[in-house]
Amino acid sequence: MKKFVIVIASFGFIFLTSCKVQKEGIVIMTDHSYKATLLANNKIGIGSPDGLLWHKGKLYFADEGGVALESWNRTEGLKKLADASVGFLSPEDLVIDAQDNIFFTDDDAGGLWEYTADGKLREVAGKDKGLISTEGIAMAKDGSLLVGDGEQHEVFRVTRDGNVTEFLGKEAGITKPESMVFDDQGNLYIADNEDNVLYLLDANRKLHRIIDRNEAFSPETIYYSKGSLYITDSHNCKLYVYTPGEELKTIAAFGGQLKNVQGVTVDDQGNIFLSVQSDLKHKVGNIIEISKEETQVAKK
Amino acid sequence: MVLSALMPLFLISSVDRLSDLNDQLLLLLNSAAGRSWLFDSLVAFFLDNDLAKAGVIGCCFLAAWYGGKSSNSTNARRKILITTLVAAVCVITTTKVLSKTIFLPRPEIQSQKIYRLDGDQLVEMKRMPVRFMLDEESQKSYHALLNGDVETNDLGSFPSDHAGFFIAISLGIWLASRRLGWLALGWTAIVILGGKMISAQHTPLDIAAGAGVAIVELSAIQYVLRKRFNGILERLTSLTLRYSALSSAIVFLVAFEVSSTMIHIRAFLGLLAAMRRHVLLGMG
Repeated sequence: MKKFVIVIASFGFIFLTSCKVQKEGIVIMTDHSYKATLLANNKIGIGSPDGLLWHKGKLYFADEGGVALESWNRTEGLKKLADASVGFLSPEDLVIDAQDNIFFTDDDAGGLWEYTADGKLREVAGKDKGLISTEGIAMAKDGSLLVGDGEQHEVFRVTRDGNVTEFLGKEAGITKPESMVFDDQGNLYIADNEDNVLYLLDANRKLHRIIDRNEAFSPETIYYSKGSLYITDSHNCKLYVYTPGEELKTIAAFGGQLKNVQGVTVDDQGNIFLSVQSDLKHKVGNIIEISKEETQVAKK
Repeated sequence: MVLSALMPLFLISSVDRLSDLNDQLLLLLNSAAGRSWLFDSLVAFFLDNDLAKAGVIGCCFLAAWYGGKSSNSTNARRKILITTLVAAVCVITTTKVLSKTIFLPRPEIQSQKIYRLDGDQLVEMKRMPVRFMLDEESQKSYHALLNGDVETNDLGSFPSDHAGFFIAISLGIWLASRRLGWLALGWTAIVILGGKMISAQHTPLDIAAGAGVAIVELSAIQYVLRKRFNGILERLTSLTLRYSALSSAIVFLVAFEVSSTMIHIRAFLGLLAAMRRHVLLGMG
C-alpha cells in the first residue's frame, strides 16, 4: 500500500511540474512575420483597459476596470489623468485631437467626456441630451465628434460646445456602434459587435456592409493606419487586418487568459498594441504589443 | 541530506527526459500521417464515426452484461459493470476538470508559432513539427488552424478524456470477461487512442495520464463499492435479473451512450445548465 501511494504521489508531482496551470494565456501567430510581447500588466498599475490609443509617443487607456483615464510610456510609467471621483463609470473608447484634448465615451454613465490638454475634465454632453450608453467615438474633420450609442442604436454628432444632433438614425440598422474610425479618404468605418457587421459609410453617406460573416466575425474595436484597418474580435478572440480590395487576414488568435481582446491601436512604426480584459470584474488586464520580427523589419 | 538535495535535480531531469521521450514517441506515431490519403481517411473515419470508434466497446459491454454462464457469474459480472459505469463517470469528470486547469495545447496547435504567458512575459513555445492528415475533415481543420480558429477544448489536451473514459470502460469489461476485455482494450489502444496520436490530437503523455486516472479511479471505486456497498450492488443486480426487459432497455441506453462518449448526456446537462442560467437566475 505504501509503495502504491509513493508511486501515485511521484506521478502526480511529475505531472504537476511538467504542466502549467491555466491561469496562462497564449497568442497564436497566424501571420508568422509578427511576434508578440507582453508590454504591460497590472503590475504597472492599470486595471482592465478597454479602449487604447497611441498618441505622440504615449499610450492612452480608457481603463474600464480601473475606472480611470491613464497615459503610459516607458520612461514616465503610468500616469492617472482622471478617475471615478468626477462621475464617469466605465470609460469605453477614446480619441485625441491635435491639441492633445482627450475625448472619451462611457457605456454605463453615458455621455461624452473631455479631458483637456491643461488637465481639466468635463462632460461635453450627457444622458440628458440622449447619450445613454456611449460606445464608439471618432473625430470628424470639422472637429466635431461622432458618438455611437448602444442603447439608442444611433450615431450622434456632438460639437465641442455640447450640441447633439443625429448623424445616423435607427433606420441605418446599426444595433451597437461599438467602434468607429475615419480612413484617409474620409470614409467612416463602423463596427457593430451585436449584429457582427463591419460597415463603411462613404463620402456620399451611403452605408455599405463590407464584412458580414455572422458568428465567424464580430468586430470589437477598429483602428485605421496607413491604408489598413486593424480589427479586434473579442468573440472569436482574434486580431485581423483588412485592406480594401483584399481578403480579411488574421494576424493572431488568442486563448486562455488573453482571449478577451478589446482595444487596438498602431504606432508610427506599425507596431500594434492591444488591450486584453482578462477579468474585468477583478480588474485584471494586459497590454500586448504585436510587432514585425526583426528580420522582416530589416527586409523592409 | 545529500539525497534530499539531489532529489529536485533528479526530478527536473526526469521531467525533461519524460518530455523529450513524449515528443519523440508522438513524432514517431505521427510520421504515419500525411503520406496516404487512404490511410488518413481510414484513421479519420475511426476517429470521427461513433459507431466505428466506440460501437465495438458498446458491443463488448453488452456481451459481457449478458454473457454469464450461470446466474451467479452473470450477477458477478453485472456488479463489476455497474461499478465500472460509476467509475467511468468519475473518470470523465476528473479528466475534464484537469484539462480545464492544466494548460497544454494539442500537439497540432503546438505546430504553430505560439507565445505563452509565463509570468510577466510572452515566451515563444517550442514548435512541434507534426504532420497533418490528408483527409477532407483534417484538412479543413488544418486550414481553420492556419486562420487562427482554435477551440477552447484544443488548449487543454492533458489528460486525454478519451483515454480515461474508454480505458475505464474497457478495463471494467476486462474484469468481467477476459476475452471481451482484451478485445475492448485492444480496440481502445489501437483504433481510438492510436488514431488520436497519429493525428497529433494527443501526445502519449496525455494518453498515459488519462489511462492513469482511469486505472486509479476504477480500482478505488471497485474496491470501495464492493467492500462497503456490496449490499446495494447485490440488490441492483438481482433487480436486473428480475426485471430483465426493463434492465435490457436501460443497458441499451447505457451502451448507446458509451458508444457516443456520453455526448447526449453532456448535451442534456448543458441544457440543464442553460435553463438554470436563463430561468432561475434570469440571465437573458
